[in-house]
Amino acid sequence: MAEELVMPRLSDTMERGTVARWLKREGDEVHAGDVVAEIETDKATMEYQSDLDGVLLKILVGAGEVAELGAPIAIVGAAGEDVAGPPPPATASSALPAALKASPVARRIAEEKGLDLRQLAGRGTGPDGRIVRADVDRLLGRPVLPVPPPQAPPPVMAPADAEVVEPSRMQQVIARRMTEAKATVPHFYLTAEIDMGRAMEFRGELNEALAAEGVKVSVNDLIVRACGLALREHPQFHRSYIDGKLHYHPSANIGVAVALEDGLIVPVVRGVEAKTLRQVAAETRDLAQRARDGQLKQPELEGATFSVSNLGMLGVTHFAAIINPPEPGILAVGATVERAVPRDGEVVIRPIMAVTLSVDHRASSGADGARFLQSVARYLEAPILLVA
Amino acid sequence: MTYREALRRALDEELERDDNVFLMGEEIGRFEGSYKVTAGLWKKWGGKRVRETPISEEGFVGAGIGAAMLGLRPVVEIMTVNFILVAMDMVVNHAAKISQMFGGKINVPMVIRTPGGAGAQLTAQHSQSLEVMFAHTPGLKVVAPSSPADAYGLLKTAIRDDDPVLFMENLILYNQTGPIPDDDGDEGLVPIGRANVVRPGDDLTMVAHSYTVRRCLTVADRLSQLGVQAEVIDLRSLRPLDVDTVVDSVRRTGRCLVAEEGWSTFGVGAEVAARVHRACFDDLDAPVERVGGAEVPMPYAKPLEMAAMPLEDKIEAAARGLLRDCGVL
Repeated sequence: MAEELVMPRLSDTMERGTVARWLKREGDEVHAGDVVAEIETDKATMEYQSDLDGVLLKILVGAGEVAELGAPIAIVGAAGEDVAGPPPPATASSALPAALKASPVARRIAEEKGLDLRQLAGRGTGPDGRIVRADVDRLLGRPVLPVPPPQAPPPVMAPADAEVVEPSRMQQVIARRMTEAKATVPHFYLTAEIDMGRAMEFRGELNEALAAEGVKVSVNDLIVRACGLALREHPQFHRSYIDGKLHYHPSANIGVAVALEDGLIVPVVRGVEAKTLRQVAAETRDLAQRARDGQLKQPELEGATFSVSNLGMLGVTHFAAIINPPEPGILAVGATVERAVPRDGEVVIRPIMAVTLSVDHRASSGADGARFLQSVARYLEAPILLVA
Repeated sequence: MTYREALRRALDEELERDDNVFLMGEEIGRFEGSYKVTAGLWKKWGGKRVRETPISEEGFVGAGIGAAMLGLRPVVEIMTVNFILVAMDMVVNHAAKISQMFGGKINVPMVIRTPGGAGAQLTAQHSQSLEVMFAHTPGLKVVAPSSPADAYGLLKTAIRDDDPVLFMENLILYNQTGPIPDDDGDEGLVPIGRANVVRPGDDLTMVAHSYTVRRCLTVADRLSQLGVQAEVIDLRSLRPLDVDTVVDSVRRTGRCLVAEEGWSTFGVGAEVAARVHRACFDDLDAPVERVGGAEVPMPYAKPLEMAAMPLEDKIEAAARGLLRDCGVL
């Protein structure tokens, strides 16, 4: 009896997956546990192991094609078995899962045009995501009501001579997630200047002492550790607003943004409040290296409760970052620069670092964010506390 | 010509055309009617054809039924629809049922003319739109024209019809002006039971009757500035109801809104929505939307009365909500 391999759920936020490539061809024997394909999720590319034994009779979703979670992507059965029988759901155009909401006229037009409404799953613009006629018309390239209202901005036009390239999977994800974040998360921003003099001395001493072990602690590691401790101190800040509920986080899992050649990835250092600086440094280094090598595993990209993004090494003195939902905030770290600052009636030169905290205003108020930021500054200005 | 003058001309012409036609009602003679619809007719036709009645709706509606059963064609004026409630037994239990209960051997060719509607601070008992009570009743015909031409044409048709017809006017409509045919023959007759597309459009069907048609036309103009072309259908008759014209439209637009001045519950919108959902299920992009008066006895205070009425802004908001539900606008 032929059975189906289905698109697996490989991450929390995954809604659909792309078959990156098939490692088996039709007619190949497969055994449970064999890697048969690679699946691209919204965050990473993962291996897909068959849970069936038999012969790969038919590939339903080819390389580069997209399938919804749970949709069949291939059929496995006995050699020579007829798979032509009743068409598998993936290729049926009219059988819609009951959960897929579509207006009657949208269903009718889809049926008339042989359109699979599942391609619009999750993208309906009616109430509760109901697929309506406008969605179907758009897909068919038919004119959709109304002509944009007069006050609408003119459509974005690319210069005619620009080279047009399909964004990578990661770029698509960044585009979608960041648009969602800016559209749905009410951001506010708090900027503070932190005197990094003692932190730099502390780091120098630390690295000297650890030199023999080959461990090197960066300024960013100090910041991550400071954030971990400060998050523990401020539960009113360390919480996420998800579906109308506040979720308090028991442990500080901090995403550290790593720039890639053409994109960005944010691996997560877990339980920072309970880790030593040495551990934070080693883990971050390892994650960043593997991020650049494309070797990160999906779980290493999930579950952050806060993020740190540092552009100081590129000479940026100050910027504001976009929150990665459902995290409550993100700290944007600028370069540490020597600045003339008044101190006890005298002007002194101090290494000053500007940081900007972006906060989800649904989860915390300005004062919550400010108190958190004060704690971060306190740890960095009295860095002995980072190991106390 | 105003709506009021169109009614007067129809009455005058039918009095002229058929000796069996006569008018009856409270102070419609010397005083020329509370809303002056019958102005000049008593002088012209005399007290036999334009009869004054006591303040006794049950009595003179009953008298009208008797006259109609015996072959006359009475046009009974009830000062406002609110006063018809004391004559409900005559209308619902007698006028509506006699023809069928006598095996079709006797008809009741009677017209009851009466204005309804709110907006003049006449408060709870004098601001109602009760036409659905009659549209609910088999044996009656109910019409509710929104323009002078339809008022003229439908009143003449109603007078010539062999069944009892409730002819619903609206206080605000009396001063509305519009063209009516010059010819005083049968050219201007408007059939009962046929709706009229008063504004064509392909994006949204708006259904209304009586004065609410005018409100819908205003809303349709506003929507057109957003690029949405609403089709406005004037039902003109509530019973029989021309559902085909509405269905033809909704098949094209996929979206339907019904507005009425009366309460929505068990109202015209409920009836139209039920029929459209059945006939156009596979054409609909969203459920049929209804707009009606607030479900309260009409308040006296002007701001409250305005808030309770289904005015243009309320209809527009409902239309926009419906369009939003369809992912447009």
